Amino acid sequence: MRAVGYRRSRLATVVGRIAVYVIVSVGAVVMAMPFVWLVLSAFKTLPETVLFPPTFFPKNPTLSNFKQVFGTIPFGRYYANSIITSVIPSAVSVITCTMAGMGFAKYRFRGRNAMFWIILSTMMVPFPATIVPLYVMVSKVGLVDTRLGLIVVGLSSASGIFLMRQFIMSIPDELLDAARIDGASEFRIFGQIVVPLCKPAIATQSLFTFTSHWGAYIWPLIAVNSDELRTLPLAIPYFSGQYYSFQNLINAASLMAVLPVLILFLFAQRYFVQGITITGMKN
Amino acid sequence: MTSAQARKYRLYRLQRNVAPYMFVLPGTVFYLMVTIIPMILGFWMSFHSWSIIRPTKPWVGLANYQKVLANPVFWAALRNTLVYTAGVVPLQMILALLAAMLLNTEIRGRTFFRLLYYLPVVTPLSIAAVIWTWIYNPNMGLLNWFLRTIGFQGRDWLGDPKMAMLSVIIVAIWSGLGYKMVIFLAALQGIPETYYEAAMIDGAGRFDLFRFITLPLLKPATLYVLITSMIGSFQVFGLVKVLTGGGPLDATNVLVMWIHRRAFADYQFGEAAATSFILFAFILAITVIQWKIMGREVTYE
Repeated sequence: MRAVGYRRSRLATVVGRIAVYVIVSVGAVVMAMPFVWLVLSAFKTLPETVLFPPTFFPKNPTLSNFKQVFGTIPFGRYYANSIITSVIPSAVSVITCTMAGMGFAKYRFRGRNAMFWIILSTMMVPFPATIVPLYVMVSKVGLVDTRLGLIVVGLSSASGIFLMRQFIMSIPDELLDAARIDGASEFRIFGQIVVPLCKPAIATQSLFTFTSHWGAYIWPLIAVNSDELRTLPLAIPYFSGQYYSFQNLINAASLMAVLPVLILFLFAQRYFVQGITITGMKN
Repeated sequence: MTSAQARKYRLYRLQRNVAPYMFVLPGTVFYLMVTIIPMILGFWMSFHSWSIIRPTKPWVGLANYQKVLANPVFWAALRNTLVYTAGVVPLQMILALLAAMLLNTEIRGRTFFRLLYYLPVVTPLSIAAVIWTWIYNPNMGLLNWFLRTIGFQGRDWLGDPKMAMLSVIIVAIWSGLGYKMVIFLAALQGIPETYYEAAMIDGAGRFDLFRFITLPLLKPATLYVLITSMIGSFQVFGLVKVLTGGGPLDATNVLVMWIHRRAFADYQFGEAAATSFILFAFILAITVIQWKIMGREVTYE
């Protein structure tokens, strides 16, 4: 009796395991297909991209598409725009969020709870609901169609403040008090004790803001009119609309545009996961 | 205490009292500058006739709201947004939960799989939309090629008003699945193994374990994913803008698309601001209702 039950359950486990692998693999193929297709096609020649049925692997792999992109549109400039408008807000917001996280986590002061509550409750305000008045404000101060106009909206973030606060709260107060007894000022404590301990959270926050700025679409679409200020998320759809018959170039340009975030993610994925679980779960 | 010491002490007290504000202010100010202040301005704008060309902005009461609510395009956009939400949110949640549960088991290469499933999340959405436009291409797209190979008919995925929304929904599910999966994974890993062991000793089957342990303990994560997904899908814009531009025949014209069009193509800023507030009210209502239904006993610490 017992042996039969054991055997049946073993068979069930084996079948179950195979089923798990099959489902997970099918899912992986679907999820990865657009990337695989993009990478393979970026190396195909123009005639090969319009073949039907399509070829899977490029017949005569070529690098000329990548070169040609730079000759067809000011791709280098778009790239530089994207770097500037992603790196600067990420760097600044990491600093402002870490400082604010320190303030909210380690001090009691008048208005602290009210301020923190306001920041948290505006987290659910949809960004698209503020774009119209935000545009009016930015145009009032003359920042429409400037890089600064793209940068100013990203100098701080509620989720960043929240993430840093959660992290800094886990640093024991005794550590800070010990430094105070030694006569360290609050800013010194921040710079020499808190920041070094926050490195993982800072990495997470930088990666998050960088990826979100690298992919930013709606605000640049509104705040920028001139071609020379376009970032990659704006320039590539525009390019694909204009040069729709040059799929080889579109693919090469798209690949170059997604590459930085993909590489960043592959090397630093654990920070991403950590960030999601901190901001996501401990709300 | 000498006077020098007293001064030093006063200085020390001062910096201790000032420091918290110095820490908190830059982040708070920069953040509120782009959230609260536009909210207030937007609220004000929604009660005024606001046009870029005219210098005066006369008070018009609820006229903007009335105009929005009387416009059939607004209702079509609202319906499209609801269809999009209904298409994306439940299916994406179920798939994300399934993926999380499968990738939480001891299978080979699970880190690799998790990575793959997450890749679309970091990909800029508008560029992903460009890639998908090509996959959806009726003549030389990968999808139609695949369908024809296995004996189905190809379709005009983005050009057919009946198909366009479905095509957008597919890309949306693809792009956001990994994020929800990671949240579910974290929640699953937070469930102590002993719960399952105890239940198994009591003779619980696999389904019982899922039904009576996993599911109830995933409630906080599920609520969080549900609320954020719904809020997110009410704000869909970039994906639709690049894939279909709101067409064909307004078949994928969603709320934010309409706000964007009213403001930056028709220059009806007052109406656009009013629509933004209607959108905001919807999101607020959904959140509150979900809290009420799913229960507040959910602990969020």
